[in-house]
Parts: sequence; structure tokens; C-alpha cells
Amino acid sequence: MKIFIKIIKVVFTILLFAFSIVILYFIALAPKERRFKIAEHSQGLYFSQSMFDILKLQNPDYSDVYFEQSVAFNKRGEYAKGFELLDKAVELDPKLHLGYRGWMKLRKLRDFDNALNDFNTLDSLTPKFVDAPWGEDIDFLRGECYFGKKDYPKAIELFNRNIKNQKEDWADIYSFVYLGLCEYELGNYEKAISEFQRALKQTENVPESYFGIAKAYLKLGQIEKAKENILKAENNIHYKRDDVYNEFLNEIYSFEIMEFKQKLNKK
Amino acid sequence: MKNKLNILLLSSFVLALTLAVWVYYQTTHRIGDIAFDENIDNSEFIVCNEDRITQYYSVETYYQGGEKTIKNELNKLINNLSFNESGFITFRFIVNCENSVGRFRVKMVNSDLKENSFKSNNIKQIQESIKRLKGWQAGKWKDESLDSYYVLNFKIENGKIVDIF
Repeated sequence: MKIFIKIIKVVFTILLFAFSIVILYFIALAPKERRFKIAEHSQGLYFSQSMFDILKLQNPDYSDVYFEQSVAFNKRGEYAKGFELLDKAVELDPKLHLGYRGWMKLRKLRDFDNALNDFNTLDSLTPKFVDAPWGEDIDFLRGECYFGKKDYPKAIELFNRNIKNQKEDWADIYSFVYLGLCEYELGNYEKAISEFQRALKQTENVPESYFGIAKAYLKLGQIEKAKENILKAENNIHYKRDDVYNEFLNEIYSFEIMEFKQKLNKK
Repeated sequence: MKNKLNILLLSSFVLALTLAVWVYYQTTHRIGDIAFDENIDNSEFIVCNEDRITQYYSVETYYQGGEKTIKNELNKLINNLSFNESGFITFRFIVNCENSVGRFRVKMVNSDLKENSFKSNNIKQIQESIKRLKGWQAGKWKDESLDSYYVLNFKIENGKIVDIF
């Protein structure tokens, strides 16, 4: 019986130590790329943050860790902490992280000037190369910054440069929508219509274009054409540009279309 | 020998237990979680499931008409409030499964995105205004309404609120 209890004790001791060793291995000893993946996939959990903290301690120059650790903070509106981490990532590897930081400043904070600074710095570091921060053409993003700053001529220049980079048939359709919006703001209503129509050449399902065209026709006094287009905007609203994280600068809503439609019907 | 084995068994147990408790705590708590605080939170605001408060982007929590509508509805506040400096005021709160809001927390940064603080009276007024908004729509998962955290940013420039998103 004594031997049996002793065996049980030995087995439990081994199993408990093995459990601890496995945990410690995954937390502090496994290859850093593997631990990075685990932390990345458990984004937001304290566990993920602790993994990143250990990785930073062991690899103070591992820029991706600072970048990835920042994501959960910025998504939750804790920008002081999020951007402190992101700044460190940029300091360690500017070419790799400047674009994302600029993208975050534009899309998360509408901090147009600082976003532009990041995009321009990145551009200067990569001559003769068209950067794509977070997968979007750098000139499209710079165009959005100028649109946000209400500097419409400069926005037009950048959106056109983006279309030239990507070629007419491959450019983001919202380049044309933004061009239309800029021309509209500048009072060039016919030009605005032709820019909105460029988006519709790629696909007929662009409610932003129909809405913009309707507004421009109203300005030109062509009420029937305005009505025709606002109806198309209404019918295509489910194709609108939106994002689960943040409202876009050019985002449109059903209520705006309905209000505009009522305004038109009174004419 | 017997003693040594007992000490080893006890040590392995304490170590494993400590690690298990640590891992459990670390994997059940998230950044930005807001626990009820009787000193600042309204006890009448209740969540439907304290153990399952998700993020707004995971369940598509939204405000009817979007932030554009919030901007319109808070127009008076936007025009009346003035600030001494520029930056961002960020409110994080819960939209519960019944479309009500509560448990507000606020973070503030200056234009260099460093921690900052704005006039507390202004913060209070903005918070009260958010509470009065009626168009919150709880996030859903498979037709079930869920509690979720929402984030609303106020951009301050030249002493005024210039944007809400």
C-alpha cells in the first residue's frame, strides 16, 4: 500500500511539474515568432499583453511586438497607451510602421495633419515606390487627409495621383467618389457629375455616386435628373461604404437620402 | 526520502496552482473591461450578462443614423462648450442589450496624443448629453441582443468640438 501511495505521489509530482513546464515554455521559452502568434490571436486579453511584455523584455528591438500590442489599446480608445507603443514601433522600424501609424491617425482619430506627416515621411523613406499603408494606396489616404482638412484642390491632386498609380480600371472606386465630392464643394457641379460617373463605370452599385449626382443636378436646377438619381441612391444604399470600426469621412446614411428626397419632392 | 517526496509534491502543486490561477485570470480579463463601481456608476443601469460584454465592432453595435446623427443631435452642446486646448476626449461605455447606455469612462489626450485632462465640467456635460441620446442599437449575434462596449471620440480644435466619431 505504501509503495502504491509513493508511486501515486511520484506520478502526480511529475504531472504537476510537467504542466508548469509546458506553461512556462509557452510563456517565456518558445520561439519568439510562435509566442507572438499566440499573443496576436488572443488580442485584448491580459494574457496577450503579458506575453507581449515578456517578448519586449527578451527582445527590446522586436518592433512588431510594440505595434501589435498597441492594437488592443487603440481599438478601445486608450490612445495615450496605444500610440506610446506605436511610436516605439516606428522608432525601431519606421519603414515598417509609419504607414500604419498614419492610417490609424487618419481613420481612428481624424488627425489629418499628423497622419499626413507620417505618410509624407514614409514616402520620403521609400523613393520610387508607391506605399500602401494597411493595404490602401498612400495617395488615396493623403487625398482623404486633405479632404478632411477641406483643402479640396490638394485632395483632387492626390486622388488623381492615386488613380494614375493604380490605373483607371483598378483604382479604388471611392477615389472617383471623393473627386466628385471635392468638385461639388468647389462649385464645379458638372465636373462633379462626371467624376461620380467614373465610379459607376466600375460598378453600378455606388450609392455615394448617385447621391452626389442628385445633389449636383439639384444645384444645376435639373430636378428630374436629381429625382432619378436619388431613387438609385435609395435602392443601392445597402452597398454603401461602411466599416464596423469607424464612420468614413464620406459615409452616407438612409436618413440623408430620405431627407433629400423629401426636399426634391417639394420642388 | 519520504519527506523529500512530499516537499516535491507540495512544491509542484503550489507552482501548478499558481500558474493555473494566473492563466485563468489572464485569459478571463480584457483591456478596457468596465466593472461596476458603486461610487460612479448608476445602479439602475444593468447589463444582461456581466460575463459576456463584447466589443462594439464584434457585434455591430451602432447609433441610428451613425455618428453624423449624434453630431446633429449634440449640435447645441458643440456650439456652447469651449475648451482651453486641443486634443481628443474619448468616452467608453456599455450599450446594454436593451439599447441603454451606462458605466461611462473617459480618456483624454492632447494633440500629441499624450495623456491630458480637459475641464471636468465639460466632460460631465458631454457625458450627460450622450446619456440623453435615444438611438443606440445593441449589437446582435444570431438574433440575440448583446451587451457591448462602445467608443465615442470628441475632437477638440481651437477651443471647440469640431468632430464626433
